[in-house]
Amino acid sequence: MTRKRRRLIVLLACLAGLGTATGLALSAFSSSIVFFVTPTDLATRPPADARLVRLGGLVQQGSVQHALADGHPLVRFRVTDGHDSILVSFSGILPGLFREGQGVVVQGRLAPGGTFEADQVLARHDSAYMPKALVEALKKRGLWNPSAGPPPPPATWDTMRIPTKSGG
Amino acid sequence: MNPLPFILAAYAIALVVPATLGFAARARMRRAERRLRAIDPPSARRLRARARP
Amino acid sequence: MASHAVVFEPTPANSRGPGLHRFANPGRFLRLSEALLPWLAAAAILLGSAGLIWGAFFAPPDWQQGQAARIMYVHVPAAWLALSGYVALALCSAASLVWRHPLADLAAAEIGPVGAAFAAICLLSGSLWGRPMWGAWWVWDARLTSMLLLFFLYLGHIALVRAFDDPTRGYRAGAILALIGVVDLPIIHFSVVWWNTLHQGNSISLFAAPSIYISMLWPLILATLGYSAGFAAIVLARLRAAVLERRIASLLLAEAARAEHASFAAAPAPAR
Repeated sequence: MTRKRRRLIVLLACLAGLGTATGLALSAFSSSIVFFVTPTDLATRPPADARLVRLGGLVQQGSVQHALADGHPLVRFRVTDGHDSILVSFSGILPGLFREGQGVVVQGRLAPGGTFEADQVLARHDSAYMPKALVEALKKRGLWNPSAGPPPPPATWDTMRIPTKSGG
Repeated sequence: MNPLPFILAAYAIALVVPATLGFAARARMRRAERRLRAIDPPSARRLRARARP
Repeated sequence: MASHAVVFEPTPANSRGPGLHRFANPGRFLRLSEALLPWLAAAAILLGSAGLIWGAFFAPPDWQQGQAARIMYVHVPAAWLALSGYVALALCSAASLVWRHPLADLAAAEIGPVGAAFAAICLLSGSLWGRPMWGAWWVWDARLTSMLLLFFLYLGHIALVRAFDDPTRGYRAGAILALIGVVDLPIIHFSVVWWNTLHQGNSISLFAAPSIYISMLWPLILATLGYSAGFAAIVLARLRAAVLERRIASLLLAEAARAEHASFAAAPAPAR
């Protein structure tokens, strides 16, 4: 065995060990690496005290209510993961992307009554990028309702063409 | 929120930084080439190559 | 490791070595890079400007993000190059540790600052994208944090390589740091799959159709090709400069040694 080959083997062994160690550490700390918890997580394991948590999910269709409280705009909506949903109240400026069916991450505390009192609302968009015309085409064919959730898989986009101005 | 200033800033950074790096690298390369030609002209290199067995 | 400094002659002894060693010959590298550089630079300017102009003015706005999605055409290529630049850095480091290639050492030292700059472009453009869309300049989610870690790994490498009086020790330490940092690459890529993050998932992956409509995908591909050519051109030019600087230094050293030798020989014998 030449010295170069020995160095190569030592290097590969070191990398394998390092990779394994990192993988184990990451899987052990996985629960603290997540950026937000889902409504199901919060329902099954509610936080012991009124600690700051981040809750993520989709804004439930038809749940957004705007109101005025002491002259400040107050918005109430439900955040859902398709399984459970939690009522969120927030007083402040919503991000521009906020709408029904949109992903959001809200930061705040779970009040005793079961309402989540948010002090920050972040919009979370999905990884699908498409022009408006394609969305209209998908809606017209009944393949996707944007206020109900994420878009269909991109493989289904390829079969359709954006209608031109003359229609078609 | 009007996204235009954000778009402009992002494009400005993405154009200026690589362009600066590129021009700096080119200048450094030209400088080294000139310097090497000055202390070791091609004629001297040819002479050395002929002297080598 | 005194032999390191003097191998920069046009035809070192190992030039007929097997396999990849042929390309690690500095003389051959100088010839090859001289021929390659104009083409790379032209490709970078043409493809890059085509992709960015297409993305900035002609690609359709996104259905939900509107015009702000145009930041994608600078953010995604920068991220891609920060990552692939690190792969190149790690490969050079492995070549340096295992095969002790002096050219790999120089290449690693020159890739570092360029990779750091592209990681910075990625982070800054991402921040400028996050503010109007998400509602925050920065969040500590797994994708953003692991990308910031990559930036710091680049900075650490830059500092470490230049921290020793003996450059060989610097290259060795830098190579070890670069290889340890490789574990961050899969973390960056899979962070959006393994954990829930504010950052969206990967739009482009090997095994699925990209979730970017074709009229927005083409400018992205062009911009990425242009940025890649630009990255390669910048690194090649820097590496050429580094090889030439090495050669200048060793020539000056040889000159000085010869002069000293001659002055010794010419000096009269010391009186008793």
